[in-house]
Amino acid sequence: MRVDSCVGCGGRAASRMREAIVRGLAHRLATAACYPVMYRSVEALPLCTACLEKLPLIGDTICPQCGRDGKTGELCPDCQKIPAETLQSNRSLLRYNEWGKDLLGTYKYRGEERLASFYAQLLTIAVHRHYKGIRFDCIQAVPLHQQRLRERGFNQVDLLARRLGDRIGVPVRSLLLRTKMTEKLSKQAGRSARESSMADAFSWAGESLKGNASGWYRVLLLDDIYTTGSTLRSCAHTIREHAGTRGSIYSLTIYR
Amino acid sequence: MREYLLYIKTGETTAMPAQAYVTPCFAVDQSFWREREGCRLHVIGRSPSLALVFSLREAVNARLQERRASSQPWSEEGLSELRQLAVARVREANALYACEAGSAKPLGRTWFTWEDGEGAVRACRSGELWPESAPLADSPTADTSIRELLAGRALLWEELVTLLGKQDVAIEEPDLMAMLQRMVLGERAEWRPGVCLSVAKGWRRRLDLFCERCGSGRRTMELTVCHTCGQGCAYCTACLGMGRSKCCTPYLLVPAPLLSAGEQVEARLAATLDWNGSYSPAQAVAAEQARRFVAAGRPGLSQFLIWAVCGAGKTELLFPSIAEALSAGGRVLIATPRKDVVLELAPRIQRVFPHARVIAVHGSSPEKWEDAQITIATTHQVMRYYQRFPLVVLDEADAFPYHNNPMLYRAVARAVQRGEKLLYLSATPPRYLRKSLVVKTTGMLSPLFARPMLKSATHVLLPGRYHGHALPVPQVVTVQGLHKRLRTGRPITALLELVRRCLESERQLFLFVPRIEDVDRVVYYLASFFPDAAPSVAGVHAADPMREEKVRAFREKRYRLMVTTTILERGVTIPRSDVAVIGAEAPVFDEASLVQIAGRVGRSADDPAGTVLYLQADRAASPRAAVRQIRRMNQLADLLRARGQQA
Ligand SMILES: [Zn+2]
Ligand SMILES: [Zn+2]
Ligand SMILES: [Zn+2]
Ligand SMILES: [Zn+2]
Repeated sequence: MRVDSCVGCGGRAASRMREAIVRGLAHRLATAACYPVMYRSVEALPLCTACLEKLPLIGDTICPQCGRDGKTGELCPDCQKIPAETLQSNRSLLRYNEWGKDLLGTYKYRGEERLASFYAQLLTIAVHRHYKGIRFDCIQAVPLHQQRLRERGFNQVDLLARRLGDRIGVPVRSLLLRTKMTEKLSKQAGRSARESSMADAFSWAGESLKGNASGWYRVLLLDDIYTTGSTLRSCAHTIREHAGTRGSIYSLTIYR
Repeated sequence: MREYLLYIKTGETTAMPAQAYVTPCFAVDQSFWREREGCRLHVIGRSPSLALVFSLREAVNARLQERRASSQPWSEEGLSELRQLAVARVREANALYACEAGSAKPLGRTWFTWEDGEGAVRACRSGELWPESAPLADSPTADTSIRELLAGRALLWEELVTLLGKQDVAIEEPDLMAMLQRMVLGERAEWRPGVCLSVAKGWRRRLDLFCERCGSGRRTMELTVCHTCGQGCAYCTACLGMGRSKCCTPYLLVPAPLLSAGEQVEARLAATLDWNGSYSPAQAVAAEQARRFVAAGRPGLSQFLIWAVCGAGKTELLFPSIAEALSAGGRVLIATPRKDVVLELAPRIQRVFPHARVIAVHGSSPEKWEDAQITIATTHQVMRYYQRFPLVVLDEADAFPYHNNPMLYRAVARAVQRGEKLLYLSATPPRYLRKSLVVKTTGMLSPLFARPMLKSATHVLLPGRYHGHALPVPQVVTVQGLHKRLRTGRPITALLELVRRCLESERQLFLFVPRIEDVDRVVYYLASFFPDAAPSVAGVHAADPMREEKVRAFREKRYRLMVTTTILERGVTIPRSDVAVIGAEAPVFDEASLVQIAGRVGRSADDPAGTVLYLQADRAASPRAAVRQIRRMNQLADLLRARGQQA
């Protein structure tokens, strides 16, 4: 994977056609005010024209809670079932299709750490698209259990958080610890099983969280994929418990 | 976190000179050496970085060698000097790593941690100190079965755990580590770091990294902040698809011992060849020559090349050699670059060796971890074998991905048992194989007249096809502005003529193009000249999800014209077909590739002729060289036939 080759297909990223497609994408993703920064972010993606065109972007009408593609812009059936939320909202950039599955697998399980900058670039675009107006105090990556971290050698979300933090100028903190080893998603029976297995999966790492001058904190939780949201909700819950209610917690993932 | 201890073993006699060792469990080494008289162990230090400890071992052993050369006796001062050497080396590695890692920060205070001296022992997971520690008991049954499973394999720690899991062997990690360390001390196995680290000397000192598994160097390494070892670490991106090879992953290499008596009996039984085909006289000679190479006792020749033109019936030539190796009581490996060849070959081989266990090994194969008399594997999987097979056959030795890929050659060479046989099989052997294995007749006037001999102790050349007809000689046509003509839809006479002839005579045509972008262009171009034939034109390339369906449809004659990149250059054979290469001057079409493409034509006995057309935009060397090679093969085949008639 050289710099000038496409992350998605290994082909050549540069082409004469690319410019027009980048411009089109940037228009789709940006409001007028942030067009230049959006253009630069899209332009920097190491993708060829073909892969740029088939990027499975989530559309403009979404569930306001979980950020899923929708038709009406109202709460999706899943989100209607969950009552009071500690998690303000989730936003994601891409739908999770076969392409995403392969690529995320290469990054996460095969350990191709070089994909981190590509994903961080996508997350930067997602922040500009959905969370433009919010000044976050810090980014918190969903932590891995110590044992899993040792096996894998790296925390794939943490790498993303650091790069995203650098790009949007927000510090990365380690407020949370993962105290419970949870089974892989595929091995869990159902939604409710996952929800209960995630409860108390995290604990407070002991750092203090101050927030801005008026004492209001804004945390951006980061993960690679939002499946049922239970991981992110459990993180948000633990932050609330320790940092108090004077604040808001948002989350961002690559895939939804 | 795993930790590794570096120590020196000294003996009283010169027969047992001082030497440095690395161990993940010191207690095992202590009990092992205690059984030998007069050994003393001196700890140098320890670190969680396997690669670092290995590089220190190298440095220490080099220093010990120097001391021996100047016949200095072992002393306490010598020991402290070696410890200082280690400390200095760690400091240097830290500085160099920090330099190369750029802005990244280490997990601890430094990139590499190192604990010096005897104090290091207490923290190392070694149990108690010698001489208080009890000797670790071998559990013979478990050890033997694990040893058998690992024989002839080269595995990263994670792969090793997977293999044992798949074979239902339950063993705790420390016990497994201890057992393997005993094998290492007994010289039945070897540890290495997945990626090893050294300081390259030169006008400027720098860090050198080398993947022990695939042989890649610094260029494909990624430095990383590693949570597995907490140290400066690097992983290899070249062999990532086979699992991550890192500085801190132990890599275990176990040469296979000779098969046990029982297994040898089984292998001999498996050698029964059940084949009632027949050879042409030339094939019979070639098969016999290869068999003799396999049968030759040690110390014999270790490499042999079967150079057989496309359509010579290469697979059948192997049968006597395989039978020979099996009847000598050994395992056989056939390595081939592509998965589809593995899948096609396995049932064919199984049919003629009905008593042998034949397995097909590729990335998603369920038989990946099993044992068999005949293993047919993709070259990537061969990386997991180590000195396992008395006979390794490397099929299509010239093909992608061997081509310019020393990584896979290395893997194949390592799978051969020490001193045993490697048999190359190729229609277009690369230059270096021809140079090293093919003997030439001396030219009468100049080397230009030298031609390859038909056979020697290291090769056999089969210049004719099994049906005895000559190879079709390609026509080379230079077309001014070839690519522009394609883009703008202006006629290319030679091409259109060939297409028309094919369509009229119910033949099929392969059209090879250099780049993926050209596929659609040529499909469109043909459809515009032959609108009636448009539905029977298809294009295919490597990333095409419909690839297999399209090739099947072409085989079933539902398509008449197939536009393709070099992916179909070998393997796919269609009777009654012709071939055109559009843009033969492009670098992807080298001599070997063009000869392979020409080899698609005229392979069946009922239709041995056909047209091969190379269209080039300007004069290029490869098409000419390919034509020359094909002509020469035909001449040699004629010569051979004439000789046969004389005899
Ligand atoms: Zn692409
Ligand atoms: Zn929702
Ligand atoms: Zn490698
Ligand atoms: Zn490591």
